[in-house]
Amino acid sequence: MKQLRVKHHLRWLSAATALALALPFMGLSRVSHAEEGEKVLKVQVEVEVASLDTAVATDGTSFEVLANMIDGLYEPDASGQAVPALVESEEVNEAGTEYRFKLKEAKWQNGTPVTAHDFVFSWQRLCDPETHSEYSYMVETAGVKNAAAVIAGEKKPEELGIHAEDDQTLVVELDFPVPFFHSLMYFPIFYPINQEFFESTNGQYATSPETFLANGAFTLKSYEPAATSFELEKNPDYYNAERIKLDGLQYQVIKDNQAAALAFNSGEVDITRLGGEQVDLYKEDPAFQTIRGGYLWYMAVNQKVSGFESTHMRKAVVMSIDKQNICDTVLKDGSVPANFAVPIDLATGPDGKDFRDSAGSYLEFDAEAAKEEFAKAKEELGKDSFQFEMIYEDTEASTNVAQKIKEMVESNLEGVEISLKQMPKKNRIQLTSAKDFEISLTRWGPDYADPMTYLALWTTDAPYNYGSWSNEEYDKIVKSCQDGELSLDQAARWEALHEAEKIAMEDAVILPVYQVGGAYMIAENVHDVHFHSVALNRVYKDAYMD
Amino acid sequence: MKKYILKRLGLSIGTLLLIILILFSLMQLMPGSPFNDEKLSPAQQERIRDHYGLNDPIPTQFVRYVGQMVRFDFGSSYNISKDTPVSELLKTRLPVSLGLGGLAILIGSFFGLFLGLYAALRHHRIGDTIATFIAVLGVSIPSYVFALLLMYVFGHKLDWFPMLFNAKLGFISYVLPSVALSVSAMATIARFTRTEMIEVFQQDYMLLLEAKGISRTRLILLHALRNASIPLVTVLGPLVVNLMTGSLVVEKIFSVPGIGQLMINAIQSNDYNIVLSLAFVYSAMYIGIMLIVDILYGILDPRIRLTKEAKND
Repeated sequence: MKQLRVKHHLRWLSAATALALALPFMGLSRVSHAEEGEKVLKVQVEVEVASLDTAVATDGTSFEVLANMIDGLYEPDASGQAVPALVESEEVNEAGTEYRFKLKEAKWQNGTPVTAHDFVFSWQRLCDPETHSEYSYMVETAGVKNAAAVIAGEKKPEELGIHAEDDQTLVVELDFPVPFFHSLMYFPIFYPINQEFFESTNGQYATSPETFLANGAFTLKSYEPAATSFELEKNPDYYNAERIKLDGLQYQVIKDNQAAALAFNSGEVDITRLGGEQVDLYKEDPAFQTIRGGYLWYMAVNQKVSGFESTHMRKAVVMSIDKQNICDTVLKDGSVPANFAVPIDLATGPDGKDFRDSAGSYLEFDAEAAKEEFAKAKEELGKDSFQFEMIYEDTEASTNVAQKIKEMVESNLEGVEISLKQMPKKNRIQLTSAKDFEISLTRWGPDYADPMTYLALWTTDAPYNYGSWSNEEYDKIVKSCQDGELSLDQAARWEALHEAEKIAMEDAVILPVYQVGGAYMIAENVHDVHFHSVALNRVYKDAYMD
Repeated sequence: MKKYILKRLGLSIGTLLLIILILFSLMQLMPGSPFNDEKLSPAQQERIRDHYGLNDPIPTQFVRYVGQMVRFDFGSSYNISKDTPVSELLKTRLPVSLGLGGLAILIGSFFGLFLGLYAALRHHRIGDTIATFIAVLGVSIPSYVFALLLMYVFGHKLDWFPMLFNAKLGFISYVLPSVALSVSAMATIARFTRTEMIEVFQQDYMLLLEAKGISRTRLILLHALRNASIPLVTVLGPLVVNLMTGSLVVEKIFSVPGIGQLMINAIQSNDYNIVLSLAFVYSAMYIGIMLIVDILYGILDPRIRLTKEAKND
């Protein structure tokens, strides 16, 4: 074997390497983003903003950022109740079908006043088929006159039930009274857009700080489409500027949970979400908080599948699941067992209390009762063993929950076998919507702060009635609460909604599992960031830092 | 040579079209739509699909797409950055991935060559074992772990580099992600260099050169390395494309606004135009680099140049 003597070459190579290694470290200094003394809150989000155009955005991150910068007619208070934002005063006719809003004197950041015309333009554009807004159906939900016809292209946008009487007076006409109309108004799609400014952007609206116009607490400082970091700064011309204590907000997209936690530890972000697997590590930390969200995870069961036509069978399955155990040992992020169809903290009734305060608890875990139900089911169906397939999406949480459900059901109900089938979310949604499934572990997020956002899902003809359940009395109550007699009498409606939930739960139309929570790290010097479960994730108008 | 390149170019364009056609057809098979399947009713979805022309027959869509593409119009994003032209997204994201990948290639090649050379020169000695061990470690540590480790040590503990990518900080922001990205390339290059160099050192012409009294630096860098570099260029080609097109893991951890992450997100959310455009960019880069590799062969090894010219002219 031949050996080359190359000592001094190696020395030369080593020196070069050392130099190359050292180069990047020269002249290093840590750059801090905010200037000294500025109260800029650094917030982690998991996805990029999809759009800052209120008619185009559909996701929680976009909505949160938009709500920082534009005020609508109403806004949520700390508890999620709708309180006036740009509305100075309002008159509603007796039938509850016409709202006359007097607007506050507010300015867009370019100095032009915010007028009723800005709302008219925004809503008409939202419903214009040309805009192809994904969320335009919410205008139908709000009951706005002619919304459905305008969206379908059968009527002109000008025929939508909204007009400006003068600069400060906005009139909205509804087809039927909508008891949760106010809470819909803080949904960002209903925010105003200044027409003149919009048209001056030549199709580039809301793609940069120059093409975005704010009237709210903050203005856009830096942003480009799909940016992974961008900044907002306090709007000195906001009509309620003294309320805002933060000097700005700095958003940072971090998708990886570990990286997010590290970024929090080194102070690069002040608020971050944790993954379930990190909870054990951080739960003793004073910055750790769990916050309840709005999503309800449930098992949709297809009643066209042999076995699930039996109410006893459906009840047996759901009552054999120890939901508390799932929340405590699998999710660990503040999720709570769902013994209901309408989540906690979703809606406040005419009595000023949360819907759940006066509602029952249904389908709770009870292994013995589950066995009894199962015995009845077996007798009713004349069968002793059942095989079901459960589809679920390929996220860590869903995978673990599905596994646990399988274990629990199979160990409590002898003769039931559940096979698991994992798939991408899009796939699961497609199969579930096409009713091509046996059990689907699925979820629903609220669109507005009223029990109807859930209860309307299970009427006979609803597209989201995945299990093909049908109950005449239920349909009648829901219809009446939507646009019938009950929609006029708040107290009676509230009671009827409780009744509807009871019917649905006693029939086990869905098998509720848990209401999601989120585990967060929030720096100890940060206060009064309000978390919401409907429409806006977080609101920073009252937030301050020590 | 000119004829050869022209022929290759023609072939490349054909390949690109074929790739787009296959992708186009495959994407029709993906479940769901780019829109909010969870909330939109079938009628609402239909309306939006109509607007974007997604209900037209596939051949019509394909012809329209290619027609747009030759005018450098890659369509708009449906989902990730709604209604933003994909070319806009590419304009901001592609340079970041190219920058990271380029730096990673530089770091990876430099250290890879060094390690490989060192190991070859120290063949059968402790230095060889250590260098080989480092190379094996480089291939076997998952980039996820390595990236987090870098972030923890140099970003969090030592505070030398920003933990998260920030374009405003310039070069310094590129260092950690590039190093994380370069590790596997470094390991591959080190292994190849070592093997090739050991083989070259055993050649008779090496012995002859040494006997002629040529300086050792010249011997190693000019003669040995040049001869060892041909197989290296072969592996380097695909490696360059891989690094330049970004990495999901590294981009995700350091929050880099690159195209690696964009591609995965686009596939998951059925953002067809982004998937197609990125696939197009990937393929074009791959084909381009392969062309360069072929030409490089000729420069590095006169024998290849001669035979190719003889065949093609």
